[in-house]
Amino acid sequence: MSEFLSFTATYLPYLLQGALVTIEIAVISVIFGSIIGIFVGLGRVSSNPLLSQLSRFYIWVIRGTPLLLQLFVIHFAIPSVFSSLTLPPFVSACIALSLNAAAYIAEIARGAIQSIDKGQMEAARSLGLSSSQAMRRVIIPQAFRRMLPPLGNEFIALIKESSLVSTIALYDLLRTGQQIISSTYLYMEVFLLVGLIYLFLTTIMSYIVGKIEKKVGAYE
Amino acid sequence: MISCKNIVKKFNNLEVLKGIDLDVAPGEVVVIIGPSGSGKSTFLRCMNHLETADLGTITINGRIVESKESSLNKLRQEIGMVFQQFNLFPHMTVLENINEAPVLLKKMTKDQAKKKGLELLKKVGLEEKAHEYPNRLSGGQKQRVAIARALAMEPKIMLFDEPTSALDPELVGEVLNVMKQLAKEGMTMVIVTHEMGFAKEVADRVIFMDGGFIIEQGPPKTIFEAPQHERTKEFLGHLK
Repeated sequence: MSEFLSFTATYLPYLLQGALVTIEIAVISVIFGSIIGIFVGLGRVSSNPLLSQLSRFYIWVIRGTPLLLQLFVIHFAIPSVFSSLTLPPFVSACIALSLNAAAYIAEIARGAIQSIDKGQMEAARSLGLSSSQAMRRVIIPQAFRRMLPPLGNEFIALIKESSLVSTIALYDLLRTGQQIISSTYLYMEVFLLVGLIYLFLTTIMSYIVGKIEKKVGAYE
Repeated sequence: MISCKNIVKKFNNLEVLKGIDLDVAPGEVVVIIGPSGSGKSTFLRCMNHLETADLGTITINGRIVESKESSLNKLRQEIGMVFQQFNLFPHMTVLENINEAPVLLKKMTKDQAKKKGLELLKKVGLEEKAHEYPNRLSGGQKQRVAIARALAMEPKIMLFDEPTSALDPELVGEVLNVMKQLAKEGMTMVIVTHEMGFAKEVADRVIFMDGGFIIEQGPPKTIFEAPQHERTKEFLGHLK
């Protein structure tokens, strides 16, 4: 036990550095994934057939292919054809995770918007609000409340999936752990610590989402 | 004030309205009655284009209603609508529900809107509920807020789509009283309802619809006491 503690004292700072990279990627991807996802979701419910078909296509491709493949396409395949599009691993990681999360968030947004009683839109329109005003002021605020629980799941999944970026030479939490193992061969200890840190991060995330849920759900 | 000519509305192949003509004069209170499925709600919803009629023209205040979004938005500001299910915005307080449209569309300041909103709440007897969320209100209170919300845009016409059908019987009266008050103040109203007592007391004209047609219309006394048409007699007979 004391061996494990002294090991922890030595290597935890490195792992925390890796965790910081994981957090950075997750936070950036949560933000951009949500923004892109909400627009794609709105496109999906749009009455404009071009927009809704484009959104549908995007969701189809992203959800139908592995995240790891998407990461490789962005980081290796595209630069192999257009060398000017060569990106640092961190940027590739954020783009791949954001685009991937966006497809799932779009479906969450669509489900939430469609779950709002259609009387809400009718009431807003009957007062003279345009459809975009009604969306903005009446439908989306209510849909947002309903999006939160599945969105929390998506954010937690995103933290875990971010471990895939270790495959493009990015020293995130998992990759840092593997690096420590390569010099210490302490598989159990390292992976245990790595697992605990992931668990800590996802717990924090669900706590934050829970707090927001409480706050915006005050009317229910 | 409202003039509907030959309104036809189909849902898929089902013809719900089969050519309806109706003129409503300023200040007139028209009550539409009829069995469910007779098309009365659909007809009401055509007047402010929540449903688009397949045929026919609707003229409001001398202007033909076009289905262009911008002109519809303008038109709807002049027509208040009250729904069976209230449709209050649950994420806004009572006062915010009322102020939303005036602040957004009439460019009222928050203060002006608040003052106006509180006046309207006083009118429907719910001043003390201004800062509550709708889920804290009874059905009757919700519907009175919904009426206040519609009035906040200072409409020239009010449409009521079965405003008391979703209410517990003991809450119906408070909503009808607000509507009576409005009628007394000279508001032009078209009301779809099953409240025959209310129709008798408040309506200037009662319209009986069945199967997508207006079967019979006239002053409440005539319709209720001496209906001419078989179907009207049958419908009113069922109610007794």
